[in-house]
Amino acid sequence: MITQSSSVAALGERGAAREPCARRYLSIVLRPSRTRLAIALAFAGGLVALPGCGVSAEGGGRAYRGAVLAHPIPRPSFTLTDTHGQPFDFRAKTDSTVTLLFFGYLNCPDVCPVHMTNIASVLRTMPYDVTRMVRVVFVTTDPERDTPEKLQKWLADFDPTFIGLRGTPEQVKAIEKSVGVAPAVAGAADSSGNYEVGHAAQVIAFTPDDSAHVVYPFGTRQADWVHDLPLLAQVK
Amino acid sequence: MTVQWWCSAKGLPWRWHWQAYPGVWIVVIALAAVYARWSKPLEAGARTHAVSTGRRIGGWVAVVLVWLTLDWPGGPLGTGYLASVHAAQFLVLAMVAPPLLLRGIDPDRVRALFERNGFAAKIIRAVTKPLLIMIVFTIVMLATHTPGTVDLLMRSQLGAFVLDSAWFLSGLAFWWPIAIDLPVREHFGPPMRMLYLFAGTQAHLYLAMWLLLADLPVYGIYELAPRVTGLSALEDQQVAGGLLLTLGGTYVLAVISVVFFRWFAEPQPER
Repeated sequence: MITQSSSVAALGERGAAREPCARRYLSIVLRPSRTRLAIALAFAGGLVALPGCGVSAEGGGRAYRGAVLAHPIPRPSFTLTDTHGQPFDFRAKTDSTVTLLFFGYLNCPDVCPVHMTNIASVLRTMPYDVTRMVRVVFVTTDPERDTPEKLQKWLADFDPTFIGLRGTPEQVKAIEKSVGVAPAVAGAADSSGNYEVGHAAQVIAFTPDDSAHVVYPFGTRQADWVHDLPLLAQVK
Repeated sequence: MTVQWWCSAKGLPWRWHWQAYPGVWIVVIALAAVYARWSKPLEAGARTHAVSTGRRIGGWVAVVLVWLTLDWPGGPLGTGYLASVHAAQFLVLAMVAPPLLLRGIDPDRVRALFERNGFAAKIIRAVTKPLLIMIVFTIVMLATHTPGTVDLLMRSQLGAFVLDSAWFLSGLAFWWPIAIDLPVREHFGPPMRMLYLFAGTQAHLYLAMWLLLADLPVYGIYELAPRVTGLSALEDQQVAGGLLLTLGGTYVLAVISVVFFRWFAEPQPER
C-alpha cells in the first residue's frame, strides 16, 4: 500500500523526471479540448459533492454524538440553593428527566455562554414531547460573584426554565467529585480584582434511567444536540 | 500584544485590543505597488492617462478596501467570530475589489503585455477564458463556503491566507473578461458578458439562500466562538446570507445593467 506521503513524494519524482510543474500545467490549460473541459466539469461536480461525503458513520440504533461513557454515572443526590433562595433537591426534582448538568460561572468568557446558547437555541426548536423531558441545571463554581439575582438574570437570558444553583465551594467540589469531573479552581485576580475560574467544560446528560451515559464536551454543536436529545429522552 | 502574520480563528474571547498582522501589510503594500505601476501611463512622461481619474481612484479605493477587510478588526472578526463579517470579506475580495483594480489599469500596458506574448500573457490568456474561469470561480465559491473547508482553513493562518487568496485571485480572473477587453474575444460581446455574470454568480445566490434558510448554524467556527455581538450564531449566519443575497445580488444586477445599457447605447452598425 502506498501511504499518502510516499505517493506525494513519488508524484514529485515523476514530475521532476519530466518537466517543471508550471510548464506541464500550462501545456494542459493553454491547449483547449473538450476532454479537458469534461474533466474540469467532472472535477467541479466532485468538489461540490464532497461535503455530502462527510456524513459521520452511524451504526444505526442509538448512536450518540456526545462522548459515551464506559461506566455510566448514577444521578447524584445533593441539595443546593436555587436562585429564589429555596433548597433544590437535585435527585428528587429532576427524577426521570433528561437533566443536563453543567458547572460554570457567569464571568466565563467562552465555554459557559456557548454551551448555554446552543442548548437554549436547540430547545426552542425541539418538539414539546422532548422539551418537557429536559431540565438544564447550572451549578455556579463562583458563588462569590454569582449572586442569585445575577445568576437568575443570566440564565433567563438564555432560557427562563434553566435552573441555577449555588452552594459553598466545598459543597460544589463534593458534587463535582461525585459525578467524576475535575473540581473548579479559581485563578489569581488581576489588578482590577477580576479572575477566571478553571472548570470542567462538559455537560453531563442524565437520562430518565437516572444515569449519565453520555457527556458533551466543549465543541458540541447544535446539530449534535438536535440529534441526541430525542435519543436521551427515550432512554428508559 | 500578540503578533500574527495573518488572521486565524483562535477561539479566544474577542477584545477590542489592536493586533498587528504584518503579513496583511506586506500583501497590501505589494498590491498597492503593483497597482501604482500598472495604473501609470506606459509612455514615460505622458501627461494624459488612458483611463479616467475616477477609474484610477476606484483602484485605490479597492486597495484600501482590501486592507480594511484583511487587517484588524475586520480580519480577525471575519476569520474567527462572525459569519456576517466573513460574508462581507468575500464580497470585497471576490466581487468588489477585483473589478475596481482591473478597471484602473492602463490598457496600453495590458496591450503591450499581450503583444510581447510572454509567460505572464500566456497565463492571463489561459486563466481568463470565460467558460473556464466561470467554472473555476463557481467551484472556488462553493468549495470555500462548505462548512468543512471553512472550519478547517480558518483554524490556521496559512489556511485563512489560502482562502483569502483564493477569493481574490479567482475574483481577479473572473472579472478580467468583463473589466478588460484583452485578449480580444470576438464571441464575448455584451449579451455573452451579461450571461457570464449571471451564470457565474448563481452559486453565490444559492449559498446566500442556504445560509439564510438553514435551521442550524452551519459553521462550527462561528457557532462555537465567544459571542461578540448580541446576535446568536444562527442570527449572525442569517445576516451573512442576507448580505450575500441583497448586497451581492444587487451589485451583480447593477453591473449587468451597466453592461446592458452601454450595449444599448452603442451605435448599431449599418447594413
